[in-house]
Amino acid sequence: MSFKYPVVMPKMSMTMETGELIIFHVKVGDHVKSGDVLFEVMTDKIDMEVDAPADGVIDSLLAEPGAVIEIGKPVLIMLTDTEVMAFDFGNEEVEAVQVEQIEQVEVKIAPPTAAVILNESVKAVPKARSEAAKRGVDLRTIAATGPDKTITMHDLNNAQVDPAMAARQKANRALIAKGIEMSRGIAQASFSRTVNSDFETATLIRAWASVLRSRPDLAIHTHVGVALIIESKYGSALPVFKDPDHLAHEDLKALVASTSEAAKNGKVPLAMLTGATTTIFDVSRYSMNSSTPLLFPNQVTSLTIGYGTESEKNISLTIDLNFCDFYDGALLLDALVASITKH
Amino acid sequence: MLTMAEAIREAMCIAFDERPEVFLLGEDVGIYGGAFGVSADMYHRYGAERVLDTPIAELGIVGAAVGAALSGMRPIVEIQFSDFTAQAMDQIANQAAKIHFMLGGALHVPMVLRTPQGSGTGAAAQHSQNLEPWFASVPGLKVVVPSNPADAKGLLLSSIDDPNPVIFLEHKLLYKIPGREPVPEGSTRIPLGVSKVVREGKDLTIVATGIMVNKAWEVCEKLSAEGISITLIDPRTISPLDMQPVFESVDKTGRLLVVQEGPAHAGFINEVIAQMAGSASFGSLIAPIKRLAGMNIPIPYAPQLEKAAVPQIEDIEIAAREIVKNWR
Repeated sequence: MSFKYPVVMPKMSMTMETGELIIFHVKVGDHVKSGDVLFEVMTDKIDMEVDAPADGVIDSLLAEPGAVIEIGKPVLIMLTDTEVMAFDFGNEEVEAVQVEQIEQVEVKIAPPTAAVILNESVKAVPKARSEAAKRGVDLRTIAATGPDKTITMHDLNNAQVDPAMAARQKANRALIAKGIEMSRGIAQASFSRTVNSDFETATLIRAWASVLRSRPDLAIHTHVGVALIIESKYGSALPVFKDPDHLAHEDLKALVASTSEAAKNGKVPLAMLTGATTTIFDVSRYSMNSSTPLLFPNQVTSLTIGYGTESEKNISLTIDLNFCDFYDGALLLDALVASITKH
Repeated sequence: MLTMAEAIREAMCIAFDERPEVFLLGEDVGIYGGAFGVSADMYHRYGAERVLDTPIAELGIVGAAVGAALSGMRPIVEIQFSDFTAQAMDQIANQAAKIHFMLGGALHVPMVLRTPQGSGTGAAAQHSQNLEPWFASVPGLKVVVPSNPADAKGLLLSSIDDPNPVIFLEHKLLYKIPGREPVPEGSTRIPLGVSKVVREGKDLTIVATGIMVNKAWEVCEKLSAEGISITLIDPRTISPLDMQPVFESVDKTGRLLVVQEGPAHAGFINEVIAQMAGSASFGSLIAPIKRLAGMNIPIPYAPQLEKAAVPQIEDIEIAAREIVKNWR
């Protein structure tokens, strides 16, 4: 249990600013499973149970029942082996709290590639030993299904589904699903445009950040944070590029490349896991023509990029109608297309 | 299609015709035609000088053969049951096997000792043994274990050619069985010390000797219908032993099953396992090596117990299927 994860007061409606902690369902030292209820919260509209985002142990409780807590402020701290890779539920204040928390704990984080040791003394067929050495796989991390708990070639070849990895994927997935579920009820509208495809990801991120910054009337944050969905071995990773329009193009390009590579191995820097104000999902590299952009909590816009033709891509935009008119959505997408076409 | 007894007789006759110094001696090999009918009419074709009926005295028979071999003859000795070689062991192990070495190569003993072995005839503990490890553990002896008529003919011709003593072990139950392949006409030799890949598959390697090659073949056929393909290797000569095809096959299949009729403890087949364990191909194994061999008991007289004491087709089938199924 090497990672301290703050569980915060969630934002359950666009108007919610604080919530009242009703009761804790856990105490310090309790072992919890992903999905277990941690505490209950009351707002002016609803009561809600807040679940554990991952398996872990309760480290500390930061409030008393009855306390009114701002959204994004931590309510309790969990210790978990699962690196929670998603996004924050809060606003800028949240970020400050989390970054502070993160700075304290960052050095203690186990490298995500250090797998859980299942077999302390290993029995393996000779071929599995030589293959594992060749592939750089630690046989102690592999579940043995062969006779006498011996690791077979079949076990080695299926090693990526070891229980620790599966738990991590599950926790990650649950967190994202929960976020999407929270924003599902928001009134929203989607738009699509076809554009020439000769733009780089960094160009798109920059252009989209500039477009959003040019419309402060639509913003609920003072900064722009562009989350990019990347598939990693633990599931979807969402590294956030903060104020990318303030970076030089080449710097941003290098940052996107290095972060994407790191994310694939589940190694996104913690500081890049928070502060998203919009999300981009590029499905064109899976040869998909489009995917409906989904709004993440506390974000007003979301983009997807689909494959059009050899020279074209489809950009889709979803907007939160609480903040924009239909017309604004069209303008935003139009401005984005104009910006990346100019480049 | 010749039976193995006929193929062995044909090889002896070819050698008789090729070389006047070749002759056959043993108990009842002449007028009676051999205890298992291997020499048959050779007495009448070649006469009493070249097909010698001897007294019941194995030490004397082999001693006479060693002496004849030292003086330029090429004797073929038939011992009626391999169990009786115990009587002649000093001549085999201390004389025939050592003379070439101890006399600095000045003399050699080009003798072939043919003898039937194995269980399955209801002949009980003193007439049913598989004694190949006795001979294979004596440096200076070559040991041949043919599994079919064609191999028996070619290997026996090479054995008679060989300047050193060769022990030629014939399984009794194979004598009357024709081979899957016809016996080539003429005097083509099969070199000693070359293993035969009987059939090729990708899931399992079986190494078997003598009659176990036939039993394993049946299993290969049956499992092939289930989609399990097996490489079957017959070493043919267990001393010297050619392991190269076994290594190459295990590199492909990753699984090894070894089968012999003789008792498991200190049996010949353990040499195959030992050489595999110490080879570069060890790293190719995806399953523990499986051994099927006779029980460590004297062969029982009761037919059911005799059958239960040595591996049968069903045993090989179960072992082969389990290795492939359990070790993926």
